[in-house]
Amino acid sequence: MACLAALCMVLPRRIAMGDQELRWPTLAEVLETEETIASQDSLENLGSPETPESPDSPVSTAPKDTVAPVIPKVSVDSVTDSRMFLAAFYASLAESSERVVRVVHYGDSQIEEDRMSQQIREKLQALYGGKGVGLVPLAQTIPTRSVRQELRMNGRFTAPAQGPRRYLVYGPKHDQRTDGLYGVMGQVAVMNDSLVKGSEEITAIVTPLIPTARYSHWRVFADTSVHYTFAGDTVQLSGRGAVYGLSQQSETGVIVDNIPMRGCLGLVFEKIDSAQLSTFYRRENVKLIIMQYGGNAIPFNEKPTTISAIVKGLREQVRYLQACAPEASILFIGPSDMLTQEEGEWITYPMVPYMDQLLRKMALEENIAYFSLYRWMGGAGSMLKWQEIGLAGSDGVHFTRAGARKAGNAVADWMLEGIEN
Amino acid sequence: MDFLRHILAFNSESPLLFTQFYFWAFFALVFSLFALIMNGRSADGKSRLHLRNVYLLFVSWFFYYKTSGLFLLILAFVTLSDWIIASRIKAAISHHKPQIAKALLALSVTIDLGLLAYFKYAYFFTNMVNDLFGTGFQVFDIFAYIGNGFAEAGRFSVDTIVLPVGISFYIFQVISYTADVYRGRIQPVKNILDFGFYVSFFPQLVAGPIVRAEEFIPQLYKPYRLSRRVFGVAVFWILNGLAKKIIMSDYLAVNLIDRVFDNPLLFSGFENLFALFAYSLQVYADFSGYTDIAIGIAMLMGFYLPMNFNSPYKSQSPQEFWRRWHMSLGRWLKTYLYIPLGGNREIGFGTYFWLSLIAFVSAALTDWWWQILVPFGVFMAGVFVWNKWISQKASIERRKLLYANLNSFITQVLGGLWHGASWNFIIWGGINGIGMIVEKIWRGMNWHVRMVCISLLCGGLWLAVYYTNLPTWRLFAVWASIIWVGTTVRYVYHLCKGSDNRITNGLSTAWAVIQTFTFITFTRLFFRSSSNLDPATANEVAWATAKNMVNQIGGAWSNAIIPDFLWEYRWVVAMFVAGMVIHWLPTNWKRRYRLAFSAMPLWLMVIAVCIAIVVIYQFVTADMQPFIYFQF
Repeated sequence: MACLAALCMVLPRRIAMGDQELRWPTLAEVLETEETIASQDSLENLGSPETPESPDSPVSTAPKDTVAPVIPKVSVDSVTDSRMFLAAFYASLAESSERVVRVVHYGDSQIEEDRMSQQIREKLQALYGGKGVGLVPLAQTIPTRSVRQELRMNGRFTAPAQGPRRYLVYGPKHDQRTDGLYGVMGQVAVMNDSLVKGSEEITAIVTPLIPTARYSHWRVFADTSVHYTFAGDTVQLSGRGAVYGLSQQSETGVIVDNIPMRGCLGLVFEKIDSAQLSTFYRRENVKLIIMQYGGNAIPFNEKPTTISAIVKGLREQVRYLQACAPEASILFIGPSDMLTQEEGEWITYPMVPYMDQLLRKMALEENIAYFSLYRWMGGAGSMLKWQEIGLAGSDGVHFTRAGARKAGNAVADWMLEGIEN
Repeated sequence: MDFLRHILAFNSESPLLFTQFYFWAFFALVFSLFALIMNGRSADGKSRLHLRNVYLLFVSWFFYYKTSGLFLLILAFVTLSDWIIASRIKAAISHHKPQIAKALLALSVTIDLGLLAYFKYAYFFTNMVNDLFGTGFQVFDIFAYIGNGFAEAGRFSVDTIVLPVGISFYIFQVISYTADVYRGRIQPVKNILDFGFYVSFFPQLVAGPIVRAEEFIPQLYKPYRLSRRVFGVAVFWILNGLAKKIIMSDYLAVNLIDRVFDNPLLFSGFENLFALFAYSLQVYADFSGYTDIAIGIAMLMGFYLPMNFNSPYKSQSPQEFWRRWHMSLGRWLKTYLYIPLGGNREIGFGTYFWLSLIAFVSAALTDWWWQILVPFGVFMAGVFVWNKWISQKASIERRKLLYANLNSFITQVLGGLWHGASWNFIIWGGINGIGMIVEKIWRGMNWHVRMVCISLLCGGLWLAVYYTNLPTWRLFAVWASIIWVGTTVRYVYHLCKGSDNRITNGLSTAWAVIQTFTFITFTRLFFRSSSNLDPATANEVAWATAKNMVNQIGGAWSNAIIPDFLWEYRWVVAMFVAGMVIHWLPTNWKRRYRLAFSAMPLWLMVIAVCIAIVVIYQFVTADMQPFIYFQF
């Protein structure tokens, strides 16, 4: 131990070895007592989703001795409650007793399995009516907890990945199409895309698993060349063409669609045909579009300039959606706190607070509402606390189901408070 | 003052773990004082040993207090209780009162298992009763309630029962002591401090190995001697354990395994399969690494703990695996459960009772009453009739096979329950039990029957795939097909009367090792539990994880992403491959490099230790593998 202690005194903390570096602690680091970086004592001490980061607040979580990136200051504007930009949506809720008011929740893997959307849906439907989970893709590769989905091709059970050809606007190159006809979900299943195997008849069975998933009506969004019939929870499809989504819903009330895009930065909307989007938004009376992105930019971008460029790209997407749905309000939900390990310690990615600030600034400038998950959780290090009490996964990035429920409820409550105010 | 409080007081957030600097500072201090005691000139050898034992007892209690706080009182209680009862048992035997001795043994086991059941299984049993009878019982922490009577009211929460660290290990140790005294295998320990030392010896207190009294207690009275060679071996075990724990276990867990098990749906079939195999290595490296360190530390202080893992993934059958994996538990279960049940000699009330209980509870909880109880009833009736009237005509091997299979199945299921208080561990134990039985039956078949059986199984599974196309059947069908191919090759070779030689023997061994490793890895689907406190949640999460992983492996496979995955996760893959290669190195090689290390000159050993620690530290501080999606 004496030799190791001597090494601590003699060796520098870092020795560069090509691309890699050799690390070694100082004696002081070895002797210091361990403390967690979580800045809050309990989860009751949550931050405000609206409070902008103070320019003086200690957001840099770079490890000791490392060269922290120089993060530019973002101006703090005077808007304190961005829910004012949801006014059009709030007003439309009055007509929910007569027709459907639709909310489309786009996001990254944080909302997979109907996470967060489910709580928003439950709260809105409890107050304004409405039934069903809304849109689901024909071939659901990621099961949700709200419905059980089964796919049969020519009568045989088929794993979704082996189902009809899927094109994803957010997928790898070979899964994309050039005509932009991805539909409102950003993914499309094409029946009989290749007729090599013969004519495919597809049966989709979508069974509600929770009371709020019960529905009264089916809707199918597909090319006119696709024929379909319904029987209970089953829809039979035949013909050749694109199926953009199936929807279990009601004739009135609020419908909330959960549309996760795994690994997506959110820069894909411009690739979707605008006519398709605007037609859907108009016909289906979409009054609120929720965009929940930013998290996927964090682990791979360490420079403020890159983050800034991504936010610039997101601004373009917001404008594109505003043009496609001029009557709808938009709410942007920023990334949560996200952790990585540096030198054996969990730290918040240095770019999270910066991205959060930039996104909020962008949102307010584009007249859309902004909910900062990061600030609401309590800022830097809060994810560690969430991990400890089972609200976040071991990756320090994704919420567990309990965590997603908490976050979804928070977003829904925040929105509903806006109506009361 | 704060510093002293930090050093001395219990803090649930910073237990004394072998992988933390604080533990090694603690051990350095303990060992320095230990050396002073053992080299002191003022006392004779016997007194010195006594002083050492007392000293290490208090050190162990301090260690346990730092790790588990006031649960030290539970440890002290079972120590006192079993020490007194065991001496009474001895007295009863000496006075030819076997019934009293038996009653005392029953009392001791009831106290010990009662405590274990209360702390470890209260949630599980409450949950099970509520499920079975629709009741709404809640757990109540009686010890917290009593504690609140002494401390200020409300200091301890009565609504939750916290599991004392290491209770499963030391309870089994004291049971072994009392049972061995009852059987006359050992004499009761006269000095309670010596007995307390045996129960609470700190290196193995938290995670084993489970040391039986007859192995350990004689060592208390042996003169201490630490040769240069033994010192080297001890240091090797410690380094070996640290490397396993930090490089093979923690690094793999943080960078891949945990995230896949947390959310299998984010990953493709191949990633899930890879993570499952890596998890097999992680579990081994974590557990055996910890016990390697314990063995090394104990060795430095002159105590030899039994080997706990003997390269288990070299096993050629599930039965062999259980002789190489967590060996101290295996021996304990064999001695105190399997043999009392009848072993391969007989089946009695215990066998019928436990099998019926397992069947009943399974039926009640799955709600498959007739589907489980009717075949089970027919089977048990058959066993009873066969055993009562027909078995005399059967060969002794046949009888042994049946008895051994039934009793070992029960042992496996209860052994599963020992690992954790939730259904997934029981399922895990059950699968292991069934796997062991199937393999034994398979081994007893001739080549023609084997070929027919595997062909039928394969055909049946592919038919199931054809009609249902469910991922589970696809997974099993592929697995069975691989076994079919291997069996066919061996069958054809056998038909051609090919002779065994070095190459065929090697291939045959490799085949058996890979199949056993695959089977054990499959059982790991059920080995991971998220919570010890809430079995309902633990069951749900564990079941969902297993189901989602199987669905991904059997339904979301994509060969195209395999190269990308292997490249992006190259460090993780390299660590896994290195871990398996080292694991599969011949035992002789391992012994040789262990001895070579221990024979190094001291200066060279110091350099080697420093280099090893520097390397291990690189893994402690390695940057995390970022999240990469391959499947959309």
